[in-house]
Amino acid sequence: MIELEAVSTRYGAVPMLREVTLRVGAGELVCLLGPNGAGKTTLFKTVAGLIRPTSGTVRVAGSPDARTERIAALGVGLVPENRRLFPGLTVAQNLCLGYEAVRRERVGFDQGLEDIGRLFPRVLERLDQMAGTLSGGEQAMVALARALIGRPTVLVMDEPSLGLAPKLIREYFRIVEELHARGSTVLLIEQNAGMALRIAQRGYVLSRGSVVADDAAEALRKSSVVRNLYFS
Amino acid sequence: MEQVVQQLINWLALGAITALLAVGFSLLFGVLNVIHFSHGDVALTAPFVAMGVLIALPAAGFGVAIIAAIVLVGFMGVILDWVSIRRFRSAPPMMALVATVALGIVLRELIRLLYPNGSNPHSFPRLFEGTAFTIAGATVSWLVVAMIGCSVLTMFALTLILYRSPLGMRIRAVSQDLEMARLAGIDPNGIFQATFFIASATGAVGGLFTASYVGLMRFDMGIIAGLLGFSAAVIGGLGNMTGAIVGSLVLAGLETLAQAILPDGAAYRLVVAFTLVLVVLVFRPAGLLGRVPVPKV
Repeated sequence: MIELEAVSTRYGAVPMLREVTLRVGAGELVCLLGPNGAGKTTLFKTVAGLIRPTSGTVRVAGSPDARTERIAALGVGLVPENRRLFPGLTVAQNLCLGYEAVRRERVGFDQGLEDIGRLFPRVLERLDQMAGTLSGGEQAMVALARALIGRPTVLVMDEPSLGLAPKLIREYFRIVEELHARGSTVLLIEQNAGMALRIAQRGYVLSRGSVVADDAAEALRKSSVVRNLYFS
Repeated sequence: MEQVVQQLINWLALGAITALLAVGFSLLFGVLNVIHFSHGDVALTAPFVAMGVLIALPAAGFGVAIIAAIVLVGFMGVILDWVSIRRFRSAPPMMALVATVALGIVLRELIRLLYPNGSNPHSFPRLFEGTAFTIAGATVSWLVVAMIGCSVLTMFALTLILYRSPLGMRIRAVSQDLEMARLAGIDPNGIFQATFFIASATGAVGGLFTASYVGLMRFDMGIIAGLLGFSAAVIGGLGNMTGAIVGSLVLAGLETLAQAILPDGAAYRLVVAFTLVLVVLVFRPAGLLGRVPVPKV
């Protein structure tokens, strides 16, 4: 569903990703770990088409080098770093934009809302509230709801646990696990290695723009590479 | 009493015209983060376009020429963005600003060169004739009634578009977070074009009323009209539509007051107006209704 083949990117003269190869197959939950500055958000932006690779190919939902505006319509739900809700729009309008981005005729907006209500009951209570006035935890839930409301087949999340209280992080990861169990393909970009490796099947470790480890989650939990990157 | 009422009517009339230009500045700044300095020149081409349509198609009638001018100036805004302003989307704001100033000069010179006797002022008909009513001895013309009424209706329509329509939701999404809007499948270029159309067509209404109110059209009228519209938007808070309306009323109020109470007040009205701009920029840089973003720590 998501394939990066020897992808390199630059910000001006500064190389950000170096020959990154990564694959997420249908129905997999794969995490991408790495410390600050490793290039995780650059990779998210590259998958989303916001950054064009200087070399290599990106294929999302079978479509090579798709335009950013087309990514959601390919059935990809995106949860960017820091939620990025539209603060001056209501929760309902944020969800509506997420729904229309995917535009799957088989699911009506009202039905999408019902589904969201089952996962995040609080979101339905906040529909008429301006997104900018929500608490951090509520914003995180709305950002995920916005990505899910059009029933995407692939979910790409960039540091969703950032800034959340431990209890909310556990709740959030439980929902991601549940989505995966229902058949969603998930690429979870995270700094919280412990939590991510607990729910993921496989993982990649990024350091200074390069993949330095790529293994099953269980193996990565014991890996010295992860320990060194996070605890050294 | 008659004088006071007359000045109040003048204030509302002037405020109505200024607001039609100011909301365009605010809308374009809010969505594109660009100060479109040629917006006044674009708006003030409308009287020339209307008269041009009338010259080319005399059978069309003045009403059709006016509507054609509003629509054509709306599209002109879109085309000007397409040929020029969009090239500076990723450039430093200063470059975009200089480009829009240059664009205004190009427009003015084109009118001067292409319109018959374009260097000279031309008379422009009153859009509405006659006196509507009198209040406390002060006469209110149909033109003033139409100016105020049209301005209120236009603001109402803009509010509906921005806050009650799917297009408005997308415009606001793009203005709040362009990158996220793209991730949500919104094509920003389509939104920019729609915004330019709305802002330019609204400005055209203001331009037509300006020419009709003073009874003439001149190739360089867009300079002062544009500066006043921009100043009103700055006073109210750039990017804020309500602010643009409030700023227009404050600016027009001060201009009217200066004309009424100062000896030879008409000569000083711009001095007073732009002094207010300076005062607001010094004491409230974000404008009366604008908010300075507070960085999170």
